[in-house]
Amino acid sequence: MNTLKLYLHSMKVLLKSQMQYPFSFCLQTLAQIVMEAGEMLAVLLIVNRFQALNQWTGGDLLFFFGMMSISFYLTECFGRGITGNFAALIRSGNLDTFFLRPRGIMTQVLCHAIDPRRIGCIAVGVAALVLGCQQSQVQWNGMKIFLFTEAIFFGMLLILGLFLIEAVFAVHSVKSIELVNAVTYGGRSACQYPIDAYPGPLRVLFGTLAPFALVLQVPSAVILGKPLLGIDGVAAFLCPLSGLVFFVIMYFVFQKAMKFYRSTGS
Amino acid sequence: MHFIEVEHLNKSFTVRKKREKGRFLREKSIIHALQDVSFHVDEGELIGYIGPNGAGKSTSVKILSGILTPDSGRASVGGLTPWTDRKTHVQHIGVVFGQRMQLWWDVPIIDSYRLLKDIYKVQKGAFENRLEELTDALDLKNLLATPLRLMSLGQRMRAELCGSLLHSPRLLFLDEPTIGLDAVSKLKLREFLLKENREKGTTVLLTTHDMEDIAALCQRVMVLGHGKKLYDGQLPELLSRYDTQRTIHVRYDAPPDLSSLPESCTLQKDGDNFIITYEPARIPTSDMLSLLQKAGAMQEMTAQSQNVDLLIARMYREMDL
Repeated sequence: MNTLKLYLHSMKVLLKSQMQYPFSFCLQTLAQIVMEAGEMLAVLLIVNRFQALNQWTGGDLLFFFGMMSISFYLTECFGRGITGNFAALIRSGNLDTFFLRPRGIMTQVLCHAIDPRRIGCIAVGVAALVLGCQQSQVQWNGMKIFLFTEAIFFGMLLILGLFLIEAVFAVHSVKSIELVNAVTYGGRSACQYPIDAYPGPLRVLFGTLAPFALVLQVPSAVILGKPLLGIDGVAAFLCPLSGLVFFVIMYFVFQKAMKFYRSTGS
Repeated sequence: MHFIEVEHLNKSFTVRKKREKGRFLREKSIIHALQDVSFHVDEGELIGYIGPNGAGKSTSVKILSGILTPDSGRASVGGLTPWTDRKTHVQHIGVVFGQRMQLWWDVPIIDSYRLLKDIYKVQKGAFENRLEELTDALDLKNLLATPLRLMSLGQRMRAELCGSLLHSPRLLFLDEPTIGLDAVSKLKLREFLLKENREKGTTVLLTTHDMEDIAALCQRVMVLGHGKKLYDGQLPELLSRYDTQRTIHVRYDAPPDLSSLPESCTLQKDGDNFIITYEPARIPTSDMLSLLQKAGAMQEMTAQSQNVDLLIARMYREMDL
């Protein structure tokens, strides 16, 4: 409870510091909206050209896109401490400061940054989702709302977990940005589309190693009424938990890396 | 039992060199940052920690503050081992780095302080009292609404110091706190540290290259070089070993005849001034004075002991640092 209070307090202070430069904030948010709207346009163009991708209609594709955008950019907004530049945190020596304060390192990493500009991307994601719901005539009910919330939340944990890989590499002073970006930003781009559109190896990658498909797409498909890979019912509710599992594993790896940092240091 | 106990502390770092041409693996070299360092500090002491760059000062501060784990050896601060009881330990320490700011850059410092209050879980009443006391002593009252980035270096340093003391730590680590400060700011800072140490009984471990800081604040100094402790004791005692020379500046009415000065002293001419450096152990000062008097009619004369920085430089040289 105390940790949550500290997190909210930190967010308030960080938001205040961002708002010290209102003009720059507005411009950057605008730029993000344009960027993300461009990605959404790509989906619309595909739909326009092909009408459908396998079993998925244009509305379905917009729905998948929206789910990914909302989950990814909520993470980037509120988990900027981890998704941001962790290597810079080490190089600047700010990580040392976290060791000097009586709180968990992960807590402080999360509390040290926020990226409210992502609100633009999130808005585009919401727009895509609403549009998708309309076109595919999704009938919402309590179960679907629960599934939606679950998918977004565990999606965020999965994304945090993936970015933690980068943090762990940074502690071991290995430059790995490109490699890890393939599963973080690459995963986001690829999994805007349902994975049954991809060949086998990519399906395995995003179905097991970086399980975007399990966390976000299986619930999305159930909400759309067209189960992905035949996963439906209780199984669809369990699949997103893989995001939690991924995060928990990476959390412990991260703690281990912090021990390593303390014994080698800067 | 002492407040800080450090026994046989060792710490080394592996540094990978750039890969040489024609070699497959990079060469590694091991830097021994600390070698068998031991010392004790009692509560309420104000200790200076000196040594050239790369002597291991920062490493020992990092170990004692819980950032690093040593390779071997034992350390305890108030009965706690810094690197195993990190969270409990850091609740009772404050750390200020002269070269790195720890407060939030873009918000008024009062917001930073409120956040620190939550981080350290300081009670509201205790926080308000302490803040009042510190802003008063550090002259920060009018700056509370100013963001750190708009402050001068001296103001920033005071703001940092305030932030590191809000949770009333028993032990304060200062890493070059006066670096880059003007004379007035330096004096104020020293005055504040002395007061804090006397009134609150806060133990202070001060790392610095500024010997005036040490002379003004510390009863005890520790010298570290190449990761080893070379001296631990009073500053005047340390200096007396190297403080063997005196310098006399003298000006005559007419060009003097200084040929009778002994070989063991050095003579420099600076305009109308003559600068004579000698060792009182070899030529007693009274002899020197009578020699100078015989050389001509003196207009002006000042005698000086050597600059502390020069003494320290000489000490480092003789210790082969």
